[in-house]
Amino acid sequence: MDIAAQLPLLLGLAWLAPLVSFVAILFFGPRMGPHGRNAAWVATAAIVTSLVLSLFAAGTWLGAHPVQAAHHGAGGHGDGDHGESHAADAAGHAGHASGHDEAHGPLAYAGDWYALYEGGALRLTIGWYIDALTVLMFVVVTFIATCIHVYASGYMHDELHDVTDHEVHLSGGGHLHRPGRFPRFFQALSLFCFSMLGIVIAGNLAMVFIFWELVGICSWFLIGFYYERKSASTAANKAFIVNRVGDFGMLIGLMALWGALGTLHFADSPVGGGEPARPGLFSLVRPAAGGHAIQVPDGMVKFAAAAEVAKTPAAEVAGKIDGWRGMGLGRWLLFTAGVGIFCGCVGKSAQFPLFVWLPDAMEGPTPVSALVHSATMVAAGVYLVGRFYPVLTPDVLLVIAYVGAITLFIAATIALVANDIKRVLAYSTVSQLGYMMLALGVGGWSAGLFHLVTHAFFKSLLFLCSGSVIHACHTNDMRKMGGLARVMPWTAGTMLVGCLAIIGAGIPFVIGLSGYYSKDAILAQALSFAQANPAHSILYLAVAGGAFLTAFYMFRLWFMTFAGEPRDHHVADHAHESPAVMVAPLVVLSVLAVVAGWTLPGGFGLANLLEQARPAGTAEGMTGGFAFGTLVFPAEHLSHEGAIHVTATLTAFATALAGVVLAALMYLVRIISPAVVATILRPAYAFLAGRWYFDELYHALFVVPVLGIAKLASGTDRGVIDRIIDGLAWTARQLAGIDAWIDRTLVDGLVNATATATWNAGLELKKLQTGHLRQYVMFIVVGTVALFVLASLLFRTSIAG
Amino acid sequence: MNAQSNLGSLISDSLANTLDVSLPLFRPELCLAATVVLLLLCRILPVLKHADSALIALGGVAFGLWYAWSDFKSLPTGGDLLAGRQELFTGLLVYDSLTAYVRLLLMGFLVLYIVFTKVSGIPDREDGADFYTLVLGSTLGMCLMASANHLLMLFMAVEMASVPSYALAGLLKGRKASSEAALKYAVYGAGAAGIMLYGLSLLAGVLGTCHLPSMALGLAKVAHVGADGGSVMVLSLGGLMLAVGLAFKLSAVPFHFWCPDVFEGAAAEVGAFLSVASKAAAVALLLRVAFSLGVPAASLGVPAGGDAAAQTLAALGDTRHFIVYVVALMAAVTCTLGNLAAYGQTNMKRLLAYSTVAHAGYLMMGVAAALAMVGVTPAGSRDAISAVAFYLGTYVFMNLGAFAIVAVLRNTLRSEEIASYAGLVRTSPGIVVATAIVLVSLIGLPPFAGFVSKFLVFSALVEAITAGAERPLMLVVLVIGGLNTVISLFYYLRVLKVMTFDPPPAERASEPFPLVSLPGAVVTALVVPVVGFGLFWSGLYAAAQLAGAFAS
Repeated sequence: MDIAAQLPLLLGLAWLAPLVSFVAILFFGPRMGPHGRNAAWVATAAIVTSLVLSLFAAGTWLGAHPVQAAHHGAGGHGDGDHGESHAADAAGHAGHASGHDEAHGPLAYAGDWYALYEGGALRLTIGWYIDALTVLMFVVVTFIATCIHVYASGYMHDELHDVTDHEVHLSGGGHLHRPGRFPRFFQALSLFCFSMLGIVIAGNLAMVFIFWELVGICSWFLIGFYYERKSASTAANKAFIVNRVGDFGMLIGLMALWGALGTLHFADSPVGGGEPARPGLFSLVRPAAGGHAIQVPDGMVKFAAAAEVAKTPAAEVAGKIDGWRGMGLGRWLLFTAGVGIFCGCVGKSAQFPLFVWLPDAMEGPTPVSALVHSATMVAAGVYLVGRFYPVLTPDVLLVIAYVGAITLFIAATIALVANDIKRVLAYSTVSQLGYMMLALGVGGWSAGLFHLVTHAFFKSLLFLCSGSVIHACHTNDMRKMGGLARVMPWTAGTMLVGCLAIIGAGIPFVIGLSGYYSKDAILAQALSFAQANPAHSILYLAVAGGAFLTAFYMFRLWFMTFAGEPRDHHVADHAHESPAVMVAPLVVLSVLAVVAGWTLPGGFGLANLLEQARPAGTAEGMTGGFAFGTLVFPAEHLSHEGAIHVTATLTAFATALAGVVLAALMYLVRIISPAVVATILRPAYAFLAGRWYFDELYHALFVVPVLGIAKLASGTDRGVIDRIIDGLAWTARQLAGIDAWIDRTLVDGLVNATATATWNAGLELKKLQTGHLRQYVMFIVVGTVALFVLASLLFRTSIAG
Repeated sequence: MNAQSNLGSLISDSLANTLDVSLPLFRPELCLAATVVLLLLCRILPVLKHADSALIALGGVAFGLWYAWSDFKSLPTGGDLLAGRQELFTGLLVYDSLTAYVRLLLMGFLVLYIVFTKVSGIPDREDGADFYTLVLGSTLGMCLMASANHLLMLFMAVEMASVPSYALAGLLKGRKASSEAALKYAVYGAGAAGIMLYGLSLLAGVLGTCHLPSMALGLAKVAHVGADGGSVMVLSLGGLMLAVGLAFKLSAVPFHFWCPDVFEGAAAEVGAFLSVASKAAAVALLLRVAFSLGVPAASLGVPAGGDAAAQTLAALGDTRHFIVYVVALMAAVTCTLGNLAAYGQTNMKRLLAYSTVAHAGYLMMGVAAALAMVGVTPAGSRDAISAVAFYLGTYVFMNLGAFAIVAVLRNTLRSEEIASYAGLVRTSPGIVVATAIVLVSLIGLPPFAGFVSKFLVFSALVEAITAGAERPLMLVVLVIGGLNTVISLFYYLRVLKVMTFDPPPAERASEPFPLVSLPGAVVTALVVPVVGFGLFWSGLYAAAQLAGAFAS
């Protein structure tokens, strides 16, 4: 089979398998074995099917498009021929599926399965856009999801029988007692996997939006899994509402694109019949004719120059577009579209200022935190920015970079003082997502997405480890832990791997864990950007500072949890290693957290795989911008060369080492007392412990005014409107009294009379209907005569001649 | 046939025409006729005495269906849609897309019907041959009704369809109600036929021909020349008397009296046959007569598209006006009376009888709209005919489904009273769901096939109104149709209310009716298309559109 037909088939099936599981569990979940125990098997079988199909797809992909030796891979430690020109690379790809070679854009296959609606220019479809990034994301998502399904079948064990929820205090003084909800969990998990894969495979923005909202609702289900707990239901609502704020921006972006360009497809869609293909967003914004350089598309120019267009004869419009484009018309629209779409990503990927929902989302079960709220769903925002990258102008990218920088810094500082093990990881997730956004924003397309993949592995590992710890200790509070390494060696060991991976540990220029490569790539690109745009050097400082903070809080977490003496003997005595079904995924994930960043001899590695999907025209860097001055985005491969690479690697190593050492001094050797530091820096500590008071700020800024307005409205309603209505009602009652009298005596009388007449007529009719055949025949004659009489009356003129 | 040719060449020409043109297009009917003969032989020859008549009938009808299908497939779909039109047997019959569509519908219905009757077990082995002989013979008449092109043929076809029906109504031997129904039906039918025959003789006498398209030319000439008032009056009277005959077949008010009595007295299976097949054929015949008399046929020496054709078309305006008024008013009255009379019924079959009457009204509305739009907007006219054809297609499943449910419930509950269905949802939810689907579809609510049908018919009326074809009349009809839909909600839903909300009668001792059984499978097979055509109706509509092009 042709690869262009094979890939959509494989990935399409991989996408739908979890949907089948969802439907099956939805309808038959409670009947799947005792307490729905087998629902876990159904869901796991489905996701394993997806994984196998995704791996097949990946194999097919690699067979058809072998990964080229690095010429600007993120490995950087080897002796890749950095000097190789891009043209040579293009030659290397020539001969692949026609129309997909680098001369025309990245290797990608796009098409539609099903048109939801087609009318006029509007075309909403369920389609695919498959490139190396899609395939890679499929493998990553299904792989992590598989690990987490296995893990969850152990972790959610409690839900197999009746549950007494000790965190829900009933008014009677007791605790809530409820039946287990085992199948329900896996049902939501399956729906989530389906939705997430839908985002990844989506061939157009409308479809992305549909599945975007679907993962949102899944997240709502899963955060609120223990919905009897007020904290959980509040957190679920918070996540949902905050995301809607972001989605509002996204809708604006969608409308801007749709209104001006009339398409939401990423790629060109063939029309057939020898006509030219309908251009997609990518080729509209980066036309091949212009060497894939970004430009404001014709549709937007016309949109912005509507007044001019109205004055110009239709035939001359085409000729004038370039002139209008030169005047800068339409560039704000493109900017709005980019920022609008990014707004959605801000919500989903928990970026400043909408990051407040993610830490609260940890109210959900830990496997959910690992899968949904660290590895995949929150990464969807980053993924969409990466997918949508060709349409983003320099100004939008700068906005993204700054949002990322602010996010990474704020979240990292909060993580320093958090004591809840899952919250530390949650803020760490926010911070790392900030890293990715920043990387994308400074032109590090490959670096950002590379970090997305490696982060997915080690962050899900870290979350699962924390879940294992919580499972053993029955508490989230790190202050009650300590010394767990002795009783939980597997958990401690795998979590150490995760910590090392996230801080980017490695031997500089030789080898390192997965985070080493991806983080270095980000650092290098940020440095490269800072050198090209000195005004924005702060971005580099944010990244470097963030690296230090990351190292500190991660090892603070590890030392507090696993090292030293137990702080709470009650907890330590009950602690035990988790069952094999939970440990196995930890080991598997920790292996990947180590090796995911490696580039094999011959050039096979994630970074080089990603290069295949690099959007057309972004390899050579970009210069432009109108709102924030001229911005220079250096080409990404430059950051892997010479001085920049060395500086970045050494900085990363030094900051990480400093962070680890400081953490060790404070929490392992205890030369510096954290309590004393907290006392000395009391205001700062309180500020951080209060999480920068964002929740309070939003409460004061949005919640309180809304409540106030609501109160005012309800007061008005009760005091004024209700009074008026009551008065009206009273009047109406009086009138109704009169009316009722009239009704009863006059109208009802009439109606009753009519009814009686009808009834009697019916009875008469019935009399006619029974038996008397002669009368029936009579009726034929009577009917004919009646018809004729009627006709003579109606057609008097024509019949009379 | 021109007069110069001598007798020999006349005979050889007509023979060649019969063998080469007419008979090949007559194969489905021939299959039916052959099957009837075979079934009769079964009664005589001892060898075949034990053959299962249902299987023989099914085999014969399957051949008929196959030929009807291949005929329908080979209709020209693009370009000149009228190219497929053929006059058969020297103009007695006409073959065009409407003939092909209705014939396909009837054959398809017959296959379903034979399977259904076999499962429901009404024709016990002894009478089986008789039952299927009658059904097939009647269907043969209905096929002829759909293709009649000559007054003589029209009358023959109507009688051929009716006479076996009289016997079918009396099928339940030894049951007083059944015999009474048969007698009433027969006498009433004879009366109607007599009046129709009188009307036909009047028409033929004034116009001097029985060939329908030639009659249209005659009518046009009458309008041109301006005949005396007397002959116009005779023509009107003749037309009305013809309408009486058609109204009897359609069970249109005020010639519907036979319908409730016959449906109640006869077996549910017979009711299904009368309400579906007979109705489809009658509507086809109505379309045929209305369009043959109201629109000049292209094949009759009047070249299409020329001035002469336009003149003839204009000259027939009065005829169309007359037919449209008669059909539309009768439709409105039929619909209203049928729905109102259904209100108080306690017997399910009687209720369905009135429902059948009401649906005849809806169908006639579509016919009226179609004829009204001729000459104003030909495309609209085509759409209206397509709507009627589509309605017939979905009506097969809705009504056959409804009667099938009555039949299988009768076998389980031994009753056809609505009250006996009380609380059925508790023991047999499957059949209640099936009933709900069928009844809601009969009301015309989405997402079922009935909605699409009704929507298409009403949109045809709207199209007529916007195009200004008989605007006030069409507006009245549309309003009445809409009101009737509301009225019909009540009595259909009342059945469902009894089935679901009412407590089951204490004395009901019957076992539950499972949907997973042979009768259940038949019901399911009939109900699934009701849902299917509601959701995916483009295929059937494409076929209906083909049928809609028969007159233009």
